[in-house]
Amino acid sequence: MTNKVSNVKIERHSGIVRFIHWTVTISIFILIFTGIGQMPMYKRYMVDQIMGLTWSSNYTVTLMLHYLAASALISASLYHVIFHGFLKEFNLLPQRGDLKESYLIIKAILTKGQEPPSHKYLAEQRLAYAFIVLNIALTIITGVIKVLKNLPSWEFGNGLLYWTTMVHNAATFMIIFGIAAHLGAFIMKENRNLLPSMFTGKVDLGYVKHRHSLWFNELIKQKKINPQAADKVSFSSYR
Amino acid sequence: MADISRREFLKRGVLSGVTAGFVLSGAEKVAEASENVEPVGTFIDLTVCDGCKGQEVPSCVSACRTKNESRFPVPEKDIPNYWPQKKKEDWSDKKGLTTRLTPYNWTAVQKTKIEHEGREYQLNIPRRCMHCVNPPCAKVCPFSSQTVTKEGAVVINPETCLGGAKCRDVCPWGIPARQAGVGIYMKMAPDIAGGGVMYKCDLCIDRVKKGQKPACVEACPKGAIKFGSRDEMLKMAQNRARQIGGYIYGDKENGGTSTFYVSPVPFEKIDSALKKQKQKQPNPEAPGYPGMPVKVGSFLDTPNGLATGMLVAPIASVFAAGYKVYKTMKGEVDSDK
Repeated sequence: MTNKVSNVKIERHSGIVRFIHWTVTISIFILIFTGIGQMPMYKRYMVDQIMGLTWSSNYTVTLMLHYLAASALISASLYHVIFHGFLKEFNLLPQRGDLKESYLIIKAILTKGQEPPSHKYLAEQRLAYAFIVLNIALTIITGVIKVLKNLPSWEFGNGLLYWTTMVHNAATFMIIFGIAAHLGAFIMKENRNLLPSMFTGKVDLGYVKHRHSLWFNELIKQKKINPQAADKVSFSSYR
Repeated sequence: MADISRREFLKRGVLSGVTAGFVLSGAEKVAEASENVEPVGTFIDLTVCDGCKGQEVPSCVSACRTKNESRFPVPEKDIPNYWPQKKKEDWSDKKGLTTRLTPYNWTAVQKTKIEHEGREYQLNIPRRCMHCVNPPCAKVCPFSSQTVTKEGAVVINPETCLGGAKCRDVCPWGIPARQAGVGIYMKMAPDIAGGGVMYKCDLCIDRVKKGQKPACVEACPKGAIKFGSRDEMLKMAQNRARQIGGYIYGDKENGGTSTFYVSPVPFEKIDSALKKQKQKQPNPEAPGYPGMPVKVGSFLDTPNGLATGMLVAPIASVFAAGYKVYKTMKGEVDSDK
Protein backbone atom coordinates (compact mmCIF):
# COMPACT_ATOMS: atom_id res chain seq x y z
CA MET A 1 0.00 0.00 0.00
CA THR A 2 1.24 3.45 -0.76
CA ASN A 3 0.88 6.62 1.23
CA LYS A 4 -1.65 9.11 0.00
CA VAL A 5 -0.07 12.49 -0.06
CA SER A 6 -1.43 15.97 -0.42
CA ASN A 7 0.69 17.11 -3.37
CA VAL A 8 1.42 20.35 -1.51
CA LYS A 9 5.07 20.64 -0.50
CA ILE A 10 6.80 22.72 2.12
CA GLU A 11 10.54 23.41 2.41
CA ARG A 12 12.19 21.54 5.26
CA HIS A 13 15.85 21.94 4.33
CA SER A 14 17.40 24.82 2.44
CA GLY A 15 19.94 24.24 -0.33
CA ILE A 16 22.87 25.05 1.93
CA VAL A 17 21.68 22.62 4.62
CA ARG A 18 21.41 19.85 2.03
CA PHE A 19 24.83 20.76 0.66
CA ILE A 20 26.34 20.52 4.16
CA HIS A 21 24.52 17.22 4.81
CA TRP A 22 25.82 15.62 1.63
CA THR A 23 29.32 17.03 2.10
CA VAL A 24 29.37 15.46 5.56
CA THR A 25 27.95 12.20 4.18
CA ILE A 26 30.40 11.85 1.30
CA SER A 27 33.41 12.94 3.36
CA ILE A 28 32.52 10.50 6.16
CA PHE A 29 32.20 7.61 3.71
CA ILE A 30 35.62 8.47 2.23
CA LEU A 31 37.06 8.85 5.75
CA ILE A 32 35.72 5.47 6.85
CA PHE A 33 37.00 3.67 3.74
CA THR A 34 40.43 5.28 3.81
CA GLY A 35 40.62 5.04 7.60
CA ILE A 36 40.05 1.29 7.47
CA GLY A 37 42.80 1.27 4.84
CA GLN A 38 45.15 2.73 7.46
CA MET A 39 44.35 -0.08 9.91
CA PRO A 40 45.74 -1.86 7.63
CA MET A 41 43.16 -4.12 6.02
CA TYR A 42 43.02 -4.01 2.25
CA LYS A 43 46.25 -5.86 1.47
CA ARG A 44 45.54 -8.55 4.05
CA TYR A 45 41.98 -9.12 2.82
CA MET A 46 43.02 -8.72 -0.82
CA VAL A 47 40.66 -5.82 -1.45
CA ASP A 48 43.48 -4.31 -3.53
CA GLN A 49 43.11 -7.20 -5.94
CA ILE A 50 39.60 -6.09 -6.87
CA MET A 51 39.60 -4.27 -10.20
CA GLY A 52 39.72 -0.50 -9.66
CA LEU A 53 40.79 -0.79 -6.02
CA THR A 54 44.49 -1.46 -6.51
CA TRP A 55 45.20 1.90 -4.85
CA SER A 56 43.37 0.90 -1.65
CA SER A 57 46.45 -0.70 -0.04
CA ASN A 58 48.68 2.26 -0.89
CA TYR A 59 49.02 4.08 2.43
CA THR A 60 50.14 7.32 0.81
CA VAL A 61 47.06 7.46 -1.43
CA THR A 62 44.60 6.53 1.32
CA LEU A 63 46.19 8.95 3.82
CA MET A 64 46.07 11.81 1.29
CA LEU A 65 42.39 11.06 0.60
CA HIS A 66 41.79 10.83 4.35
CA TYR A 67 43.31 14.28 4.85
CA LEU A 68 41.31 15.82 1.98
CA ALA A 69 38.03 14.30 3.18
CA ALA A 70 38.83 15.42 6.75
CA SER A 71 39.33 18.96 5.47
CA ALA A 72 35.90 18.80 3.80
CA LEU A 73 34.28 17.40 6.96
CA ILE A 74 35.85 20.06 9.19
CA SER A 75 34.81 22.79 6.75
CA ALA A 76 31.22 21.54 6.64
CA SER A 77 31.10 21.12 10.43
CA LEU A 78 32.43 24.63 11.04
CA TYR A 79 29.92 26.07 8.59
CA HIS A 80 27.10 24.15 10.29
CA VAL A 81 28.08 25.24 13.82
CA ILE A 82 28.67 28.89 12.91
CA PHE A 83 25.60 29.24 10.71
CA HIS A 84 23.09 27.68 13.09
CA GLY A 85 24.88 28.96 16.19
CA PHE A 86 24.68 32.56 15.03
CA LEU A 87 21.07 32.25 14.00
CA LYS A 88 20.19 30.42 17.22
CA GLU A 89 18.66 27.55 15.27
CA PHE A 90 18.80 24.83 17.86
CA ASN A 91 15.74 22.77 16.92
CA LEU A 92 17.91 19.70 16.28
CA LEU A 93 19.36 19.73 19.78
CA PRO A 94 17.90 17.21 22.23
CA GLN A 95 15.20 18.49 24.56
CA ARG A 96 14.02 17.37 27.98
CA GLY A 97 11.79 14.32 27.62
CA ASP A 98 13.20 13.25 24.22
CA LEU A 99 14.07 9.76 25.42
CA LYS A 100 10.50 9.13 26.58
CA GLU A 101 9.01 10.75 23.49
CA SER A 102 11.27 8.73 21.28
CA TYR A 103 10.08 5.55 23.02
CA LEU A 104 6.44 6.61 22.53
CA ILE A 105 6.98 7.28 18.80
CA ILE A 106 8.63 3.90 18.20
CA LYS A 107 5.97 2.17 20.32
CA ALA A 108 3.23 3.89 18.29
CA ILE A 109 4.86 2.80 15.02
CA LEU A 110 5.13 -0.80 16.18
CA THR A 111 1.66 -1.00 17.75
CA LYS A 112 -0.05 1.11 15.06
CA GLY A 113 -1.01 3.55 17.79
CA GLN A 114 -1.08 7.32 17.97
CA GLU A 115 2.27 9.13 17.90
CA PRO A 116 2.78 12.18 20.11
CA PRO A 117 2.82 15.41 18.04
CA SER A 118 6.27 16.37 16.79
CA HIS A 119 8.16 19.53 15.98
CA LYS A 120 10.19 19.91 12.78
CA TYR A 121 12.37 17.06 13.97
CA LEU A 122 11.28 13.88 15.72
CA ALA A 123 12.60 13.23 19.22
CA GLU A 124 14.73 10.34 17.98
CA GLN A 125 16.18 12.56 15.25
CA ARG A 126 17.32 15.01 17.90
CA LEU A 127 18.90 12.20 19.92
CA ALA A 128 20.53 10.71 16.83
CA TYR A 129 21.87 14.16 15.90
CA ALA A 130 23.46 14.59 19.33
CA PHE A 131 25.00 11.11 19.10
CA ILE A 132 26.47 11.68 15.66
CA VAL A 133 27.66 15.22 16.46
CA LEU A 134 29.42 14.02 19.60
CA ASN A 135 31.25 11.30 17.68
CA ILE A 136 32.09 13.51 14.71
CA ALA A 137 33.46 16.11 17.14
CA LEU A 138 35.58 13.43 18.82
CA THR A 139 36.97 12.17 15.51
CA ILE A 140 37.74 15.73 14.39
CA ILE A 141 39.50 16.74 17.62
CA THR A 142 41.50 13.51 17.80
CA GLY A 143 42.09 13.64 14.04
CA VAL A 144 43.59 17.13 14.30
CA ILE A 145 45.93 15.86 17.03
CA LYS A 146 46.85 12.90 14.82
CA VAL A 147 47.69 15.22 11.90
CA LEU A 148 49.77 17.47 14.16
CA LYS A 149 51.68 14.57 15.70
CA ASN A 150 52.92 13.58 12.24
CA LEU A 151 54.64 16.95 11.90
CA PRO A 152 58.26 16.98 13.11
CA SER A 153 57.70 20.27 14.95
CA TRP A 154 55.02 18.86 17.27
CA GLU A 155 55.69 16.74 20.31
CA PHE A 156 52.95 14.99 22.28
CA GLY A 157 53.15 12.67 25.23
CA ASN A 158 52.81 8.96 24.44
CA GLY A 159 49.82 8.66 26.82
CA LEU A 160 47.93 11.39 25.03
CA LEU A 161 48.71 9.83 21.65
CA TYR A 162 47.53 6.41 22.83
CA TRP A 163 44.17 7.76 24.05
CA THR A 164 43.83 9.94 20.96
CA THR A 165 44.20 6.83 18.79
CA MET A 166 41.77 4.81 20.90
CA VAL A 167 39.12 7.56 20.94
CA HIS A 168 39.56 8.17 17.18
CA ASN A 169 39.03 4.47 16.43
CA ALA A 170 36.14 4.04 18.90
CA ALA A 171 34.33 7.18 17.72
CA THR A 172 34.70 5.98 14.12
CA PHE A 173 32.93 2.73 14.99
CA MET A 174 30.24 4.72 16.80
CA ILE A 175 29.75 6.76 13.61
CA ILE A 176 29.43 3.57 11.57
CA PHE A 177 26.84 2.37 14.09
CA GLY A 178 25.09 5.77 13.88
CA ILE A 179 24.96 5.63 10.08
CA ALA A 180 23.51 2.11 10.23
CA ALA A 181 20.83 3.31 12.68
CA HIS A 182 20.20 6.44 10.56
CA LEU A 183 19.63 4.35 7.44
CA GLY A 184 17.84 1.65 9.44
CA ALA A 185 15.22 4.23 10.46
CA PHE A 186 13.92 4.16 6.91
CA ILE A 187 12.88 0.55 7.33
CA MET A 188 9.86 2.08 9.05
CA LYS A 189 7.49 3.35 6.38
CA GLU A 190 6.44 6.34 8.48
CA ASN A 191 9.94 7.77 8.26
CA ARG A 192 10.25 7.41 4.50
CA ASN A 193 8.17 10.56 3.99
CA LEU A 194 11.16 12.50 5.30
CA LEU A 195 13.51 11.14 2.63
CA PRO A 196 12.58 13.51 -0.25
CA SER A 197 13.54 16.57 1.81
CA MET A 198 17.16 15.47 1.87
CA PHE A 199 17.18 15.56 -1.94
CA THR A 200 14.63 18.19 -2.99
CA GLY A 201 14.48 20.06 0.32
CA LYS A 202 10.70 19.64 0.48
CA VAL A 203 8.27 17.42 2.37
CA ASP A 204 4.60 16.82 1.89
CA LEU A 205 2.52 19.36 3.79
CA GLY A 206 -0.17 16.78 4.54
CA TYR A 207 2.47 14.60 6.15
CA VAL A 208 3.71 17.58 8.18
CA LYS A 209 0.16 18.31 9.36
CA HIS A 210 -0.33 14.67 10.27
CA ARG A 211 2.95 13.90 12.04
CA HIS A 212 4.77 17.17 12.76
CA SER A 213 1.71 19.07 13.93
CA LEU A 214 3.69 21.29 16.30
CA TRP A 215 5.87 22.47 13.41
CA PHE A 216 2.76 22.76 11.22
CA ASN A 217 1.15 25.13 13.74
CA GLU A 218 4.40 27.08 13.98
CA LEU A 219 4.45 27.49 10.18
CA ILE A 220 0.91 28.87 10.26
CA LYS A 221 1.90 31.23 13.08
CA GLN A 222 4.91 32.41 11.07
CA LYS A 223 2.58 32.87 8.08
CA LYS A 224 4.74 30.55 6.02
CA ILE A 225 1.61 28.64 5.00
CA ASN A 226 -1.86 29.90 4.33
CA PRO A 227 -4.29 28.62 7.06
CA GLN A 228 -7.13 28.18 4.55
CA ALA A 229 -4.91 26.19 2.19
CA ALA A 230 -3.59 24.23 5.16
CA ASP A 231 -7.11 23.18 6.09
CA LYS A 232 -7.52 21.49 2.74
CA VAL A 233 -4.43 19.32 2.84
CA SER A 234 -4.72 15.87 4.31
CA PHE A 235 -2.54 12.85 4.73
CA SER A 236 -3.89 9.35 5.02
CA SER A 237 -1.30 6.75 5.67
CA TYR A 238 -1.51 3.03 5.06
CA ARG A 239 -2.56 2.55 8.64
CA MET B 1 16.54 39.97 12.54
CA ALA B 2 17.19 42.87 10.21
CA ASP B 3 17.92 45.32 13.03
CA ILE B 4 20.64 43.28 14.73
CA SER B 5 23.34 45.47 16.17
CA ARG B 6 27.00 45.14 15.39
CA ARG B 7 27.65 44.36 19.06
CA GLU B 8 25.12 41.47 19.00
CA PHE B 9 26.63 40.19 15.76
CA LEU B 10 30.10 40.17 17.27
CA LYS B 11 28.87 38.59 20.53
CA ARG B 12 27.22 35.70 18.73
CA GLY B 13 30.23 35.45 16.47
CA VAL B 14 32.60 35.01 19.38
CA LEU B 15 30.36 32.38 21.01
CA SER B 16 29.98 30.35 17.83
CA GLY B 17 33.60 30.86 16.91
CA VAL B 18 34.83 29.58 20.26
CA THR B 19 32.76 26.42 19.87
CA ALA B 20 33.73 25.83 16.27
CA GLY B 21 37.31 27.00 16.62
CA PHE B 22 37.96 24.54 19.42
CA VAL B 23 38.36 21.92 16.75
CA LEU B 24 41.37 23.73 15.38
CA SER B 25 42.86 25.33 18.46
CA GLY B 26 42.02 22.88 21.27
CA ALA B 27 44.76 20.48 20.33
CA GLU B 28 47.40 23.07 20.99
CA LYS B 29 46.50 23.24 24.66
CA VAL B 30 47.09 19.56 25.18
CA ALA B 31 50.49 19.47 23.52
CA GLU B 32 53.03 18.38 26.07
CA ALA B 33 56.47 19.79 26.36
CA SER B 34 59.13 17.13 26.53
CA GLU B 35 61.19 16.82 29.65
CA ASN B 36 64.80 17.82 29.45
CA VAL B 37 66.32 14.48 28.43
CA GLU B 38 68.96 14.65 25.75
CA PRO B 39 68.32 12.44 22.69
CA VAL B 40 70.97 9.79 22.18
CA GLY B 41 72.53 8.42 19.03
CA THR B 42 75.15 6.08 17.64
CA PHE B 43 78.00 6.52 15.19
CA ILE B 44 79.08 3.44 13.28
CA ASP B 45 82.50 3.76 11.68
CA LEU B 46 82.65 1.40 8.70
CA THR B 47 86.40 2.02 8.38
CA VAL B 48 86.83 0.34 11.77
CA CYS B 49 84.24 -2.47 11.78
CA ASP B 50 85.76 -5.69 10.45
CA GLY B 51 82.67 -7.81 11.08
CA CYS B 52 84.59 -9.59 13.88
CA LYS B 53 86.79 -11.38 11.40
CA GLY B 54 87.30 -15.01 12.34
CA GLN B 55 84.18 -15.18 14.50
CA GLU B 56 81.20 -17.14 13.26
CA VAL B 57 78.83 -14.49 14.64
CA PRO B 58 79.93 -10.85 15.11
CA SER B 59 80.09 -9.75 18.75
CA CYS B 60 77.41 -7.05 18.39
CA VAL B 61 74.98 -9.63 16.99
CA SER B 62 75.72 -12.14 19.76
CA ALA B 63 75.42 -9.47 22.46
CA CYS B 64 72.10 -8.29 21.05
CA ARG B 65 70.74 -11.85 20.97
CA THR B 66 71.88 -12.60 24.52
CA LYS B 67 70.51 -9.33 25.86
CA ASN B 68 67.09 -9.76 24.23
CA GLU B 69 66.68 -13.55 24.30
CA SER B 70 64.10 -13.40 27.07
CA ARG B 71 61.95 -11.12 24.90
CA PHE B 72 62.04 -13.25 21.76
CA PRO B 73 58.62 -14.53 20.62
CA VAL B 74 57.29 -17.83 21.85
CA PRO B 75 54.52 -18.59 19.35
CA GLU B 76 51.74 -21.08 19.89
CA LYS B 77 52.04 -24.41 18.15
CA ASP B 78 49.26 -24.12 15.59
CA ILE B 79 49.69 -20.78 13.87
CA PRO B 80 46.81 -19.91 11.56
CA ASN B 81 47.42 -18.47 8.09
CA TYR B 82 46.63 -14.83 7.40
CA TRP B 83 43.12 -15.57 6.11
CA PRO B 84 42.09 -15.28 3.28
CA GLN B 85 45.74 -15.64 2.27
CA LYS B 86 47.45 -18.97 2.55
CA LYS B 87 50.60 -17.77 4.23
CA LYS B 88 51.99 -16.54 7.52
CA GLU B 89 55.27 -15.10 8.76
CA ASP B 90 56.81 -17.68 11.03
CA TRP B 91 60.51 -17.44 11.84
CA SER B 92 60.38 -19.77 14.83
CA ASP B 93 62.16 -22.55 12.93
CA LYS B 94 64.94 -20.13 11.91
CA LYS B 95 65.91 -18.86 15.33
CA GLY B 96 69.59 -19.46 14.61
CA LEU B 97 69.66 -17.18 11.56
CA THR B 98 72.12 -14.34 12.27
CA THR B 99 72.80 -12.90 8.82
CA ARG B 100 69.54 -11.00 8.49
CA LEU B 101 66.96 -9.24 10.66
CA THR B 102 64.29 -11.55 12.04
CA PRO B 103 62.04 -11.53 15.13
CA TYR B 104 64.89 -13.54 16.74
CA ASN B 105 67.76 -11.43 15.44
CA TRP B 106 67.50 -7.67 15.87
CA THR B 107 71.00 -6.83 14.67
CA ALA B 108 72.80 -8.26 11.65
CA VAL B 109 76.08 -7.45 9.92
CA GLN B 110 75.95 -7.20 6.14
CA LYS B 111 79.25 -7.98 4.45
CA THR B 112 80.07 -6.77 0.97
CA LYS B 113 83.07 -6.02 -1.27
CA ILE B 114 82.92 -2.76 -3.23
CA GLU B 115 85.37 -1.23 -5.68
CA HIS B 116 85.84 2.50 -5.43
CA GLU B 117 88.46 4.67 -7.16
CA GLY B 118 90.52 1.66 -8.12
CA ARG B 119 90.55 0.12 -4.68
CA GLU B 120 88.52 -2.77 -3.29
CA TYR B 121 86.91 -2.26 0.10
CA GLN B 122 85.59 -5.01 2.33
CA LEU B 123 82.69 -3.42 4.17
CA ASN B 124 80.96 -4.84 7.23
CA ILE B 125 77.78 -2.97 8.05
CA PRO B 126 75.98 -3.55 11.36
CA ARG B 127 72.26 -3.08 10.67
CA ARG B 128 69.31 -2.55 12.95
CA CYS B 129 66.64 0.11 13.56
CA MET B 130 67.96 3.59 12.70
CA HIS B 131 65.80 5.25 15.43
CA CYS B 132 64.56 8.08 13.24
CA VAL B 133 63.91 11.53 14.64
CA ASN B 134 60.35 11.68 13.28
CA PRO B 135 59.72 7.96 12.75
CA PRO B 136 56.81 7.21 10.40
CA CYS B 137 56.59 3.68 11.83
CA ALA B 138 55.65 5.02 15.27
CA LYS B 139 53.61 7.93 13.97
CA VAL B 140 51.31 5.90 11.76
CA CYS B 141 50.82 2.81 13.91
CA PRO B 142 47.01 2.51 13.96
CA PHE B 143 47.03 1.31 17.57
CA SER B 144 49.82 3.53 18.92
CA SER B 145 51.82 0.41 19.71
CA GLN B 146 55.05 2.12 18.71
CA THR B 147 56.34 5.08 20.61
CA VAL B 148 59.42 7.28 20.82
CA THR B 149 61.09 7.58 24.20
CA LYS B 150 62.49 10.86 25.45
CA GLU B 151 65.93 9.47 24.64
CA GLY B 152 64.84 9.10 21.01
CA ALA B 153 64.58 5.30 20.94
CA VAL B 154 61.71 3.91 18.87
CA VAL B 155 60.11 1.04 20.79
CA ILE B 156 57.33 -1.45 20.08
CA ASN B 157 54.88 -2.55 22.77
CA PRO B 158 54.47 -6.32 22.25
CA GLU B 159 51.39 -6.28 24.50
CA THR B 160 49.31 -4.15 22.11
CA CYS B 161 50.93 -4.80 18.71
CA LEU B 162 48.59 -6.69 16.36
CA GLY B 163 51.24 -7.32 13.71
CA GLY B 164 49.65 -5.44 10.82
CA ALA B 165 53.21 -4.67 9.65
CA LYS B 166 52.31 -1.16 8.55
CA CYS B 167 55.44 0.03 10.41
CA ARG B 168 57.57 -2.18 8.17
CA ASP B 169 55.78 -0.97 5.04
CA VAL B 170 56.47 2.70 5.83
CA CYS B 171 60.06 2.10 7.00
CA PRO B 172 62.48 2.85 4.12
CA TRP B 173 64.58 -0.08 5.32
CA GLY B 174 61.73 -2.47 6.21
CA ILE B 175 63.33 -3.08 9.60
CA PRO B 176 60.57 -4.39 11.92
CA ALA B 177 60.23 -8.18 11.62
CA ARG B 178 56.92 -9.98 12.12
CA GLN B 179 56.32 -13.20 14.01
CA ALA B 180 52.91 -14.86 13.72
CA GLY B 181 51.24 -16.92 16.45
CA VAL B 182 52.14 -14.57 19.27
CA GLY B 183 50.58 -11.50 20.86
CA ILE B 184 47.17 -10.14 21.72
CA TYR B 185 45.56 -11.16 18.40
CA MET B 186 45.85 -14.83 19.44
CA LYS B 187 43.38 -14.04 22.24
CA MET B 188 40.95 -12.34 19.85
CA ALA B 189 40.07 -13.85 16.47
CA PRO B 190 43.39 -15.19 15.12
CA ASP B 191 41.71 -17.14 12.32
CA ILE B 192 40.46 -13.99 10.64
CA ALA B 193 42.34 -10.96 12.02
CA GLY B 194 45.78 -9.95 13.29
CA GLY B 195 49.22 -10.99 12.16
CA GLY B 196 51.43 -11.36 15.21
CA VAL B 197 53.89 -8.97 16.81
CA MET B 198 56.60 -6.81 15.24
CA TYR B 199 60.12 -7.03 16.67
CA LYS B 200 63.17 -4.82 16.29
CA CYS B 201 66.02 -3.14 18.15
CA ASP B 202 64.91 -0.80 20.95
CA LEU B 203 68.41 0.64 21.44
CA CYS B 204 68.55 -1.30 24.73
CA ILE B 205 66.42 1.46 26.20
CA ASP B 206 66.34 -0.22 29.62
CA ARG B 207 70.15 -0.03 29.75
CA VAL B 208 70.24 3.50 28.34
CA LYS B 209 67.79 4.70 31.00
CA LYS B 210 70.19 3.33 33.60
CA GLY B 211 73.06 5.30 32.07
CA GLN B 212 74.57 2.23 30.35
CA LYS B 213 75.47 1.75 26.71
CA PRO B 214 73.47 -0.50 24.36
CA ALA B 215 74.71 -4.11 24.39
CA CYS B 216 76.05 -3.94 20.81
CA VAL B 217 78.12 -0.83 21.61
CA GLU B 218 79.60 -2.39 24.71
CA ALA B 219 80.37 -5.68 22.93
CA CYS B 220 82.17 -4.22 19.91
CA PRO B 221 85.84 -5.24 20.28
CA LYS B 222 87.02 -2.55 17.86
CA GLY B 223 85.03 0.35 19.23
CA ALA B 224 83.42 0.77 15.81
CA ILE B 225 80.06 1.67 17.34
CA LYS B 226 80.11 4.85 19.41
CA PHE B 227 77.28 5.92 21.67
CA GLY B 228 76.43 9.31 23.16
CA SER B 229 74.21 12.31 22.65
CA ARG B 230 72.79 12.54 19.15
CA ASP B 231 74.42 15.90 18.49
CA GLU B 232 77.77 14.64 19.69
CA MET B 233 77.54 11.50 17.52
CA LEU B 234 76.60 13.53 14.46
CA LYS B 235 79.57 15.83 14.99
CA MET B 236 81.85 12.85 15.48
CA ALA B 237 80.58 11.26 12.28
CA GLN B 238 80.98 14.50 10.31
CA ASN B 239 84.53 14.93 11.56
CA ARG B 240 85.41 11.36 10.70
CA ALA B 241 83.89 11.70 7.22
CA ARG B 242 85.93 14.87 6.67
CA GLN B 243 89.06 13.22 7.99
CA ILE B 244 88.92 10.28 5.57
CA GLY B 245 87.27 12.13 2.68
CA GLY B 246 84.38 9.73 3.15
CA TYR B 247 80.63 9.74 3.23
CA ILE B 248 77.95 9.94 5.89
CA TYR B 249 74.63 8.12 6.07
CA GLY B 250 71.65 8.57 8.41
CA ASP B 251 71.76 12.33 8.99
CA LYS B 252 69.26 13.20 6.27
CA GLU B 253 67.61 9.89 5.45
CA ASN B 254 63.93 9.50 6.39
CA GLY B 255 63.96 13.05 7.75
CA GLY B 256 67.01 12.37 9.93
CA THR B 257 67.89 9.43 12.16
CA SER B 258 69.91 8.79 15.33
CA THR B 259 72.29 6.36 13.65
CA PHE B 260 75.18 7.71 11.59
CA TYR B 261 77.38 5.58 9.36
CA VAL B 262 80.65 6.80 7.92
CA SER B 263 82.16 5.00 4.95
CA PRO B 264 85.08 5.54 2.55
CA VAL B 265 82.74 4.38 -0.25
CA PRO B 266 79.70 6.36 -1.47
CA PHE B 267 76.50 4.94 -0.05
CA GLU B 268 74.96 4.81 -3.53
CA LYS B 269 77.49 2.05 -4.30
CA ILE B 270 76.78 0.32 -0.99
CA ASP B 271 73.03 0.43 -1.64
CA SER B 272 73.51 -1.01 -5.10
CA ALA B 273 75.74 -3.81 -3.75
CA LEU B 274 73.26 -4.67 -0.99
CA LYS B 275 70.40 -4.82 -3.49
CA LYS B 276 72.39 -7.26 -5.61
CA GLN B 277 73.13 -9.33 -2.51
CA LYS B 278 69.49 -9.39 -1.56
CA GLN B 279 68.60 -10.91 -4.91
CA LYS B 280 70.93 -13.80 -4.10
CA GLN B 281 69.16 -14.53 -0.77
CA PRO B 282 67.08 -17.74 -0.55
CA ASN B 283 63.87 -15.66 -0.57
CA PRO B 284 64.73 -12.28 -2.19
CA GLU B 285 61.30 -10.79 -1.50
CA ALA B 286 61.44 -11.48 2.24
CA PRO B 287 62.12 -8.48 4.49
CA GLY B 288 65.09 -8.28 6.87
CA TYR B 289 67.86 -7.51 4.42
CA PRO B 290 67.81 -3.70 4.21
CA GLY B 291 69.45 -1.54 1.57
CA MET B 292 70.93 1.91 2.11
CA PRO B 293 68.96 4.23 -0.18
CA VAL B 294 70.62 7.65 -0.12
CA LYS B 295 68.55 10.68 0.97
CA VAL B 296 65.45 8.50 1.05
CA GLY B 297 62.39 10.57 1.97
CA SER B 298 59.90 9.91 4.72
CA PHE B 299 56.45 8.42 4.23
CA LEU B 300 55.21 11.45 6.16
CA ASP B 301 56.65 14.02 3.72
CA THR B 302 53.59 14.02 1.44
CA PRO B 303 50.84 14.12 4.12
CA ASN B 304 52.77 16.70 6.14
CA GLY B 305 53.08 18.85 3.03
CA LEU B 306 49.33 18.60 2.61
CA ALA B 307 48.56 19.42 6.26
CA THR B 308 48.96 23.19 5.89
CA GLY B 309 46.91 23.18 2.70
CA MET B 310 44.16 21.40 4.63
CA LEU B 311 43.54 24.58 6.60
CA VAL B 312 42.49 26.54 3.52
CA ALA B 313 39.03 24.96 3.14
CA PRO B 314 38.00 25.27 6.84
CA ILE B 315 39.14 28.91 6.97
CA ALA B 316 37.23 29.67 3.76
CA SER B 317 34.24 27.86 5.24
CA VAL B 318 34.31 30.04 8.38
CA PHE B 319 34.28 33.20 6.25
CA ALA B 320 31.53 31.84 3.97
CA ALA B 321 29.38 30.92 6.98
CA GLY B 322 29.96 34.32 8.57
CA TYR B 323 28.99 36.09 5.34
CA LYS B 324 25.84 33.98 4.93
CA VAL B 325 24.83 34.60 8.53
CA TYR B 326 25.36 38.34 8.16
CA LYS B 327 23.19 38.40 5.03
CA THR B 328 20.52 36.33 6.76
CA MET B 329 20.51 38.52 9.84
CA LYS B 330 20.16 41.59 7.67
CA GLY B 331 17.09 39.91 6.20
CA GLU B 332 18.52 39.53 2.72
CA VAL B 333 18.47 35.74 2.72
CA ASP B 334 15.96 33.37 4.30
CA SER B 335 17.41 31.14 6.96
CA ASP B 336 16.59 27.46 7.29
CA LYS B 337 14.51 27.96 10.41
